[in-house]
Amino acid sequence: MPARLAGAVLAALLAAAPAAAAQAPVVAAAADLRFALPEVAAAFALDTGERVRLSFGSSGNFARQIRQGAPYEVFLSADEGYVLALAADGFTRDRGTLYAIGRLALVVPEGSPLAVDGSLGDLAAALDDGRLGRLAIANPAHAPYGRAAEEALRHAGLWPRIRPHLVLGENVAQAAQFALEGGAAGGLVAYSLALAPQVAAAGARIALVPAAYHAPLRQRIVLVAGAGAVAERFYAFVRGPAARRTLRAYGFTLPGES
Amino acid sequence: MASRAGSAAASPEGLGVALAQARPIPLEADFAAAPGEVLALVGPSGSGKSSVLRCIAGLARPTRGRVHIDGTAWLDTEAGIDIPPHRRAVGMVFQSYALFPHLSALANVAAALSHLAAATRRSRAAELLALVHLEGLEERRPAALSGGQQQRVAVARALARDPAVLLLDEPFSAVDKATRQRLYRELAAMRQRLAMPVVLVTHDLDEALMLADRLCLLHHGRTLQTGRPIEVINHPASVQAARLVGQQNLFAATVVEHRPDRGLTLLDWHDRVIEAAPAPAFAPGARVAWMIPPAKVVLHRRDRPSRGEAENPVPGTVIRHLVLGDSTLTTMAVCGADDLALTFTVPVHVAERNRLAVGAGVTVSLLAAAIHVMPADFRGLD
Amino acid sequence: MDWQALWLSLRLGLVTVALLLPLGVWAARRLAHHRMRAKGLIEALIALPLVLPPTVVGYYLLVAFGNASPLGGLWQAVFGHPLAFTFDGLVVASVIINLPFAIQPMVRAFEAIPAEVREAAACCGMTPWQALWRVELPLAWPGVLTAMVLSFAHTIGEFGVMLMVGGNVPGETATVSIAIYDRVQAFDSAAAGRMSALLLAFSLATMALTYGFSRRIGRRLA
Repeated sequence: MPARLAGAVLAALLAAAPAAAAQAPVVAAAADLRFALPEVAAAFALDTGERVRLSFGSSGNFARQIRQGAPYEVFLSADEGYVLALAADGFTRDRGTLYAIGRLALVVPEGSPLAVDGSLGDLAAALDDGRLGRLAIANPAHAPYGRAAEEALRHAGLWPRIRPHLVLGENVAQAAQFALEGGAAGGLVAYSLALAPQVAAAGARIALVPAAYHAPLRQRIVLVAGAGAVAERFYAFVRGPAARRTLRAYGFTLPGES
Repeated sequence: MASRAGSAAASPEGLGVALAQARPIPLEADFAAAPGEVLALVGPSGSGKSSVLRCIAGLARPTRGRVHIDGTAWLDTEAGIDIPPHRRAVGMVFQSYALFPHLSALANVAAALSHLAAATRRSRAAELLALVHLEGLEERRPAALSGGQQQRVAVARALARDPAVLLLDEPFSAVDKATRQRLYRELAAMRQRLAMPVVLVTHDLDEALMLADRLCLLHHGRTLQTGRPIEVINHPASVQAARLVGQQNLFAATVVEHRPDRGLTLLDWHDRVIEAAPAPAFAPGARVAWMIPPAKVVLHRRDRPSRGEAENPVPGTVIRHLVLGDSTLTTMAVCGADDLALTFTVPVHVAERNRLAVGAGVTVSLLAAAIHVMPADFRGLD
Repeated sequence: MDWQALWLSLRLGLVTVALLLPLGVWAARRLAHHRMRAKGLIEALIALPLVLPPTVVGYYLLVAFGNASPLGGLWQAVFGHPLAFTFDGLVVASVIINLPFAIQPMVRAFEAIPAEVREAAACCGMTPWQALWRVELPLAWPGVLTAMVLSFAHTIGEFGVMLMVGGNVPGETATVSIAIYDRVQAFDSAAAGRMSALLLAFSLATMALTYGFSRRIGRRLA
């Protein structure tokens, strides 16, 4: 009978989902790790034979989702504030560990009227003489690199004037994409993203923004409550030497190093 | 379990219907039909005929009512019985035929044969189609059949269920006159074989006259009169019924006296005394209504005077004269009472020989036996 | 090409359709055959997902079965994992947002069957269930198929609600439309382009099929 057949198919399709739950743990990672973390995960797989699934987005968004019961087992935040708040409310196993310190960079695509000046002096000039079209940053409301970009712009005395020129990315990776392909004059994004090969290949130029311009981007990793054994091993791996090498290559400052 | 006509335990009582409701459609119907009898439900549009039929079939449920067939109750609102239509052994022919458009004629008929073993359904369906003279058209879809052919498939399908009652909802209204005549003849011929009561809904009195054993007159859902068609037409129980059956010669009068020795009742009709059929129910001096069918108003012929002219002679002047094919319809104003008009019919050749025309003076005789007396209730029909 | 995301989307579409088919047929028949005073209101409610911004729908769905809600809590207690951010949550969201796509074409198809034909089925001795299978569905199937095809295609393409209700969990809630979004952010235009082209071709085929069947709805009953 067709009805019975349909019922069997339906059951099989639905069952395919819980089977997936026994799969690799899901890691929620800040968008600035978009290029660095897959390399770490690959090394992890080679080393232990175990897989993790990576999901990238803004740290604030992930923190909200974890509060709503999203099934992430490890959370790599670009801002330790989110992790500490989750820990205080009991959503994580402990207060986590500092795994990297991020840097903000100015990215200027090919053909942009902006000069690649990390001190943002040229940005100020461009604002004055009308050269500046749009500047991409991540959304300060829930992305740590967006908050850092705002702090840097305030520090340079540009904040209220530059606001109408800003285009906000939902996370810092989207901001980088806007900066390079979205017709913006440039963007203030994560240094780790700016160092990605695709960015150089697109003919973009980058310059570090001085760390003094913004509060440090202290990136914290934590195990979410209910995390399993594979997640624990990944958590340890990220703090291990192999992962640190990768993070260093992507411009992160590591804890214990200057 | 559906009840069927002729089952061992059932008594052959036929169909009994009593329905009452105020909304959405007012109903106050009460009639019965015996096995093998054709009952025509007649009334103007909106008189609730189709609603009554749908209540019998179980497609609609009245506020209060009883429908029973061969002793089994299909509907009894007081007892809380309401058997759904698919469990009533009812065969229904819808006004639009409602054939299943995706099935062939044979499959349409077979759809009602689920009470038979699968192997015999095809042959039985073919038999039924042959009964309605549709051999050779079994595989055609309804879209490829003419109106008359579709109607026959619908009849075959209704009969396929071996129904305890056959319901026909204005089944001839959608076909042309020639086809209709042929279908009348076929239905009349088939009637001999039908052992169940048949309820035929129609607004056409001639159709009822031709096909029905009994006629039930409906108006606003109320049964006005039930009886043999010729009876109802020539002896309506009320002025309202008389108007519904199309009687035109309706008048008021006063009873003078009864003459049982002569088999007459005398009426005072606008100072003219006329002899009518006996109406003992009405006391002398009572105000009454009376009617006479146009066919019983006899023209005095100039060429051939006859003794019948002594019976209720009424002189007058022709005020309207219509030629309708082979016969004519003439209306005359009564002498001395111009507001009274008598209508009668004569063949064309008689009209010509008597030089009937508007303005001509004529005299007619009212045949006493055909003058039918009714209560004097002239309230309008609405 | 993210095959895992594609397979996830296909699975989501199939499960949605499998659930909407009986639900839709039941609801569409009731709407088509019964005169209800609240019919206009019910049809408006069903059509809501068509006009509401996906984010509004996603927001209210999260309120309805996120962890903080009674339904979400119940689900977690019974099944051990939350309803939001899982495939099951996507299925629930998908069924709700596809209600108008499933029900409206079916209602039209069932309405097109003359009431007297259905009554004739009853007078032929068919139970309502038999009438559904032997008379109504054979006549209404183009509308039913249209509804299913539209729902399937819409599920494959849905983005906003899925992102809000499901997040972007690979293998669980990362549908192909979300995967395209993801690839763009990863500067992988090639993959994004391939998946987009595939979805475009798929959508074209779906629409052509749907319009082809819509014409047959009318002809069926001629």
